[in-house]
Amino acid sequence: MKYLMVLACAVIATSKAFAADHGPVFSYATPVNSEREFSFDTGIFGRYGSQGTQLSTGSGFGYGVTPHITVNAFLPASFGSGDLPESRMSGTDWSAGASWRFLHSVTSVGKRIESTASLGLVVPGPQQDSGVLGSLHRAPGVAATLVTGLASRSQYVWVGGGYTCFAEVSNDRRPDIISWSAVYGYRPPSLRRGYDKWDYRGFAELTGEHTGAVRSGGIILPDSSSTTVWFGPSVLAIFKNIAIESGVQGPLFRDVSESVYGRERIRFAINFSYLKYSSHTSSH
Amino acid sequence: MKKILAIGFVALSTLSARAEYELVNLTVFGMDCAPCAHAIHVSMKGIQGVDTVDVDLNTGLVSIKLTPGNSAAMRQFNQAVEKNGFTHKDANVVVRGQLSGSAQAPFLDVIGTKDRYALTPLTAGTDISGLMGKTVLIDGVLPQSGKGKVSDTLRYKSVTEAR
Repeated sequence: MKYLMVLACAVIATSKAFAADHGPVFSYATPVNSEREFSFDTGIFGRYGSQGTQLSTGSGFGYGVTPHITVNAFLPASFGSGDLPESRMSGTDWSAGASWRFLHSVTSVGKRIESTASLGLVVPGPQQDSGVLGSLHRAPGVAATLVTGLASRSQYVWVGGGYTCFAEVSNDRRPDIISWSAVYGYRPPSLRRGYDKWDYRGFAELTGEHTGAVRSGGIILPDSSSTTVWFGPSVLAIFKNIAIESGVQGPLFRDVSESVYGRERIRFAINFSYLKYSSHTSSH
Repeated sequence: MKKILAIGFVALSTLSARAEYELVNLTVFGMDCAPCAHAIHVSMKGIQGVDTVDVDLNTGLVSIKLTPGNSAAMRQFNQAVEKNGFTHKDANVVVRGQLSGSAQAPFLDVIGTKDRYALTPLTAGTDISGLMGKTVLIDGVLPQSGKGKVSDTLRYKSVTEAR
């Protein structure tokens, strides 16, 4: 029954949202919830550009069905208008999905090599997008991600990619999003302390996005696709079951038409996570 | 008076037959951060009879002390590790139980749980024939077993008659 529920959630659901749990704030990462663990995330993702600042806030919920399968949901809200291209980390879509850690190699103290796949459904929320996207009829979409990497006491490395595509409605279609990320994390020796003390680590996050062309009234809008690559540092601080992460990114590469979109200059994010672990174990 | 004697007898016989884990030390693989350790701590503390839990992230060592009279089973400790997505290596245990079988093929029954182990010495030359049928305190190692399983062999370092 449990697996049927997971399957059902996977079919109807993934999060294209940002900052899942305790990890890098912009990039994809592999960790999933423990069995019966609830996680709650809330944060702000900002994009500052020539047309103004766009803020996306939202709350995410996760539940560990098994040690390797987590179901999650994300409810965002958006403020301000930057007339910016579609992004996996911003927007007004509600999403729900499931993540499956299908590779999990744990062979030494403090080290894991793992891979996680996610699948889910993205549905338009009550808010409209801004700019050229704001005039489109919005249809639901499907999001999938794949990420692999290593977690250890000293270093973290994750690489991942995602794809989000939307259905067409009334001859309008929002652009597909192809995204990728690579992140390196480091915890200095002096911070490899007991778990009852604050745990800090720093990340260098490289992320990229390509959004396809916007289809409006059955016509492809010229120059409406975009490609950007971003890089910047982030810091994660954890105390037992509370995590705060924040980071900032600047553009390394931008191929965006400024006649269609605003010129995005900087991205920043702050996220708060609360993790509620289960003490349940079966009796003998 | 008869009732008091009966209660006293029952209490004494229960005490003498008491069998339980007193200490379990697990080396857990895969914990990289504070929430990992916290998750293990919460899970272990949820097992009835667990008194204290210490988690060392740098060595992976999880030390569990149990209260007298507990009925915690080894499977519960393994489950607490596995449900958080980790694995563990051999477990060092101090356990009280009753010796059964024969001197050539001894078993330890941890009465009050379903745990029963075939005993093998960690080093040769230990004679436990004089302790057969008695309640003993064993300091030993449970080898790593597959997911969801508990080793059926306990390799003992020392066996002493329980007081």
